[in-house]
Amino acid sequence: MAKRQKKSRSVKDPLYSPRRIRPRISALLVDWMSWGYIAYCVVYLLNNYWYHRYVNYYGTLSLPDTWGWLVVIIATLELAAISHAFGHSIGLSLFGLRLLDEEYRPPRFKQRLIRFLWWHLLPVGTIVGFVLKRQPGLFHDTRSKTRMYLIADVKDQIPATKPRKWYLTHRGAMILALITATFWVGWLVTEINLGAFFGRMGRSAYIWKDLVTPSFAHFIVPETKMTVIGAAPIELTILGGIIESVFMALLATVIGAFFAFPLSFFGARNIMGFSPLGWTIYGVTRGFFNIFRSIESILWAIIFAIWVGHGPFAGALALTIHTVAALGKLYSEQVEGIDPGPLEAIAATGARRWQVILYGVVPQIIPSYLAFTLYRWDINVRMSTIIAIVGGGGIGRFLFFYKNSVGVIPDSWNQVGAVVITIVAVVWSLDYISGRIREKIT
Amino acid sequence: MEPLLVVEHLTKIYQRGEILALDDVSFTVNRGEFLVLIGLSGSGKSTLLRCINRLIEPTSGRIIFDGIDVTKASPRELRLIRRRMAMIFQNFNLVRRSLVMTNVLAGRLGYANPWLSALQKFPRSDIEMAMANLKRVGIPEQAYKRADELSGGQQQRVGIARALMQKPDLLMADEPVSALDPATSNSVMQYIELMNKEDGVTVITSLHFLSLARRYGTRILALKDGKIVFEGLPAEIDEAKFKEIYGEEAEEVEIR
Ligand SMILES: Nc1ncnc2c1ncn2[C@@H]1O[C@H](COP(=O)(O)OP(=O)(O)O)[C@@H](O)[C@H]1O
Ligand SMILES: [Mg+2]
Repeated sequence: MAKRQKKSRSVKDPLYSPRRIRPRISALLVDWMSWGYIAYCVVYLLNNYWYHRYVNYYGTLSLPDTWGWLVVIIATLELAAISHAFGHSIGLSLFGLRLLDEEYRPPRFKQRLIRFLWWHLLPVGTIVGFVLKRQPGLFHDTRSKTRMYLIADVKDQIPATKPRKWYLTHRGAMILALITATFWVGWLVTEINLGAFFGRMGRSAYIWKDLVTPSFAHFIVPETKMTVIGAAPIELTILGGIIESVFMALLATVIGAFFAFPLSFFGARNIMGFSPLGWTIYGVTRGFFNIFRSIESILWAIIFAIWVGHGPFAGALALTIHTVAALGKLYSEQVEGIDPGPLEAIAATGARRWQVILYGVVPQIIPSYLAFTLYRWDINVRMSTIIAIVGGGGIGRFLFFYKNSVGVIPDSWNQVGAVVITIVAVVWSLDYISGRIREKIT
Repeated sequence: MEPLLVVEHLTKIYQRGEILALDDVSFTVNRGEFLVLIGLSGSGKSTLLRCINRLIEPTSGRIIFDGIDVTKASPRELRLIRRRMAMIFQNFNLVRRSLVMTNVLAGRLGYANPWLSALQKFPRSDIEMAMANLKRVGIPEQAYKRADELSGGQQQRVGIARALMQKPDLLMADEPVSALDPATSNSVMQYIELMNKEDGVTVITSLHFLSLARRYGTRILALKDGKIVFEGLPAEIDEAKFKEIYGEEAEEVEIR
């Protein structure tokens, strides 16, 4: 077989084409942001442990506010520039860049220093260099005789070197610092308090005792102390509540999937194409998915409880809306991940666009659609057990009624225990069934 | 007689990476020909074939198919043109989870009644035709299996059956046998040859092996870096031409 030849054959490809400049800018922004993040964490820790009179966590360092910001912004930019000149930073490796000299070797220290220093005169220097010396190219590139290459362009020229241990590289150390800072600050922000966790364990003992000795008194006997306007007796039993929850989840899943199915094609890049109209529909659909998905069902239930009144209908509506958005997004991603080959083949037979979707896309996505729908059903069942907290109906009504009756009804925690056990039993068995079905279809 | 296909100054620049994949390519294909495209991988063979039925939009140039300007065709006209030019692919491009029968019938979509096809229904005549074509490529017993249960060679024969459903004037094949072993390759090539000889379908195919190209091609077109570097009879490719097309280090290997 003929040997594959290496060649670069581009139409117009100077060193400073957008294709090569864009990653450099992105890399700088990423590194600037990581240094900014570290700066934030350091200032937060200083503020927390030591300095809180001179530093607040906006990093003002007791300077006037605007000055504080400026110092942080410029200092982190400097640090990012140092990362680029003296090491292989996160940004550089993320965007496939490598700093090399003109013979494709790693630059010497002196060159790196020159590069870093002249970088400060980048705009002025580039213009002056071009006008006076007819020397095209970015100033710090030309002065230091180094270039920031795309690895893809020069991978055949770079000599193979033995990589250093990851924690000795700039990138490795930086990632380690980011992780450490995140967990340290996270620990403080979430006010983790192991003393309280272990020391005050005894206080909740009586609840545990009641929960494990549940009282199923109202499993099928109506709880008349609870006032639900216009409720039939069955709706005042735990059994009635859980049935309500399961049906709420079922209808929300089925109806939600029904609407999400067609919408998912509008939210798939490979189906909508690259025309302005395609982009618009795609953007609107994806925007709808993302916004409606990030509003939790509980919040939707608050709105619908006012709109259509308290009860399971409000809960089902809330779950449906969230299901459409969440499933729509998952479905769209499945559509984007399909094998494009069959679509090409079917389009080549002269089929219409929707025929290509029906014959090429749908068969490929059906199994994962079913799996996601079942997965969503699990989520909806769990959500439907608590959505009553905001007036959505279902078994949650009992949970919150008994919880709020602690001290009024003598065995209320035992009643809560019964409700919780019912929820666990139903959720667990439905999870199990849908898990088995999912195994079968994928 | 006027040629079936005329390609004039065809150029394709991929926006992503600014790659010049086809550089001012012009040639004609006469009716009944078996034209073989050769060239290194990356030389632009797939791009050329996909530009002809506009699966890829050409950047500039003209493509005239049977007197119709493909490059200017509206979406509807393009569908009517595509019906007449079938295509088979290196990795078969079957819908793997669908039945072999459904895959073959998909070749009929360009002709089908849209309402019936929306219900996944095809007329009895189409189903009989699909069965006949599967018989023709020797796998009638596989008709109601899922496509991904078939071996590579069988899948490519399904691809050929799908192409036959179109009753095409032109068959384009993009490295139809690269994913197959030598023995299977030859049987697949023979079905393509049969389409050419018996049904009079004009064939353009890209091939990886020069030996296959010599054996089946009536004419050869060699691409290098998106340009035509050779056009002529198979016998005209000598050692020097070969090195020019494939590079100095290449050596011809025989596959039977
Ligand atoms: N979708 C694409 N986007 C950008 N470049 C592409 C794309 N498809 C192919 N190319 C490039 O175009 C050139 C020709 O590719 P191709 O037509 O697939 O060649 P062949 O089929 O002869 O191997 C190659 O350099 C390839 O990298
Ligand atoms: Mg190819």
